[in-house]
Amino acid sequence: MAVKVHIHATHRQYTNGLEVVEVTGRTVGECLHHLIKQYPGMEKALFAKKDKLLNIVEVYVNHTSAHPNELVKPIKDGDEIHLIIMLAGG
Amino acid sequence: MLTSREQERYDRQIMIGEIGREGQEKLKRSRVVIAGTGGLGSPIAIYLVAAGIGMIRIIDHDQVVLSNLNRQILHWEEDIGEKKVDSARTKLRKLNSAVEIEAIPETITESNVSTLMDGCEVIVDAMDNLPTRYILNQCAIEKNIPFFHGAVTGFEGRAMTILPGRTACLRCMYRGPVPQEKFPVVGVAPAVIGVIQATEVIKYLLGIGKLLTNRLLIYDGLKISFNEFKVERNPDCDHCGTLMRKD
Repeated sequence: MAVKVHIHATHRQYTNGLEVVEVTGRTVGECLHHLIKQYPGMEKALFAKKDKLLNIVEVYVNHTSAHPNELVKPIKDGDEIHLIIMLAGG
Repeated sequence: MLTSREQERYDRQIMIGEIGREGQEKLKRSRVVIAGTGGLGSPIAIYLVAAGIGMIRIIDHDQVVLSNLNRQILHWEEDIGEKKVDSARTKLRKLNSAVEIEAIPETITESNVSTLMDGCEVIVDAMDNLPTRYILNQCAIEKNIPFFHGAVTGFEGRAMTILPGRTACLRCMYRGPVPQEKFPVVGVAPAVIGVIQATEVIKYLLGIGKLLTNRLLIYDGLKISFNEFKVERNPDCDHCGTLMRKD
C-alpha cells in the first residue's frame, strides 16, 4: 500500500493535472522526494533549497499539521499527505 | 436592555434558542475590531452590523480604487478616492444607525497596534498581508483577545479562530515571511470566508456552538468543498509558546 499525496490546484500543472499522486517513503521528506522523482517540476514548487520547504508550503499528514520539522515526520503505508499553499490575501 | 425597536429589528434572531433576548443584549454590549475594510472586511462588517453588535471599530489606511470593486462590496463607484473607513462607515450607518462605528484611517504597526485594539473584546483579521496578520496575532496573544483569522486567494479561502493561550495561533502553523505580492481573487471567495469569520465572532460573543479552534478550515470555491485540518499549539512558537510554558 502506498502513501497518497494530495496536490494543490496550483501545483497540478507539474503533475499532469493529477490531484493525487501515490508515493512511498518512511518520512514526509522521503515521500516528497519520491514525488519529485516522478514529477520533477514539483521540486521548485515545494523547496526553497535542499531540505528547506518554501514558507508558503504547508504539509498536513492525515489532516493534521506536520509543522514544524515536517520533513522528518514519520509516515506509514496508507497515510495521506496534503500539500497546501498558504493564503495571505483579503 | 433592548428597546422595542431593537426587539422588532432582531426578532428573527431572538427567535433562535441559542440567542434569545439575553444573547441579543450581549451582542449589543459587545465591542469588536475589524482590521481591514476590503474583501474580507466588507462582509464581516455588514453582517456584524446587521446582527446588532454594539460597537465596531474599523481600521484601514487605504483609499478606494476602481480595482477594489470586484470584491470590496462596502465600496462603490462613487467612493473612488475616498478613505475606505469613511466609505464603509457611511454604508454601515445606513444599514444600522444604532451601531456605533469608529473609523480609524491608520496603518496597523507594531507601535500602534496595542492602542488600536484597546477596549475591544474581539479582533477580526481582514488584512491582505501576512506581516500585519502577525502583528495582530502577537497583540491578540499579549492582550488575551480572541483573534478570528481569515485569508483568501483566487477561489480559495481559509479561516481559524484563536483563543490566546488556549488554542493554536497563526504563528504555530506558519513558518515565516512570504513574498508580498498582488494576489488574484474573485469577490465570492472573501464573501464566503468573511461570513464564516462573522459567524465565529457571533458564536464566541454568545458563548455558543463549537468554534474553529485548533481547526483550519479550507474552502475550495472551484469544487465547493470544505476541508478541515487539525493544528496544534507549537510549544516553541515565538508568539504563544511563552504562554504555553506558563500553563
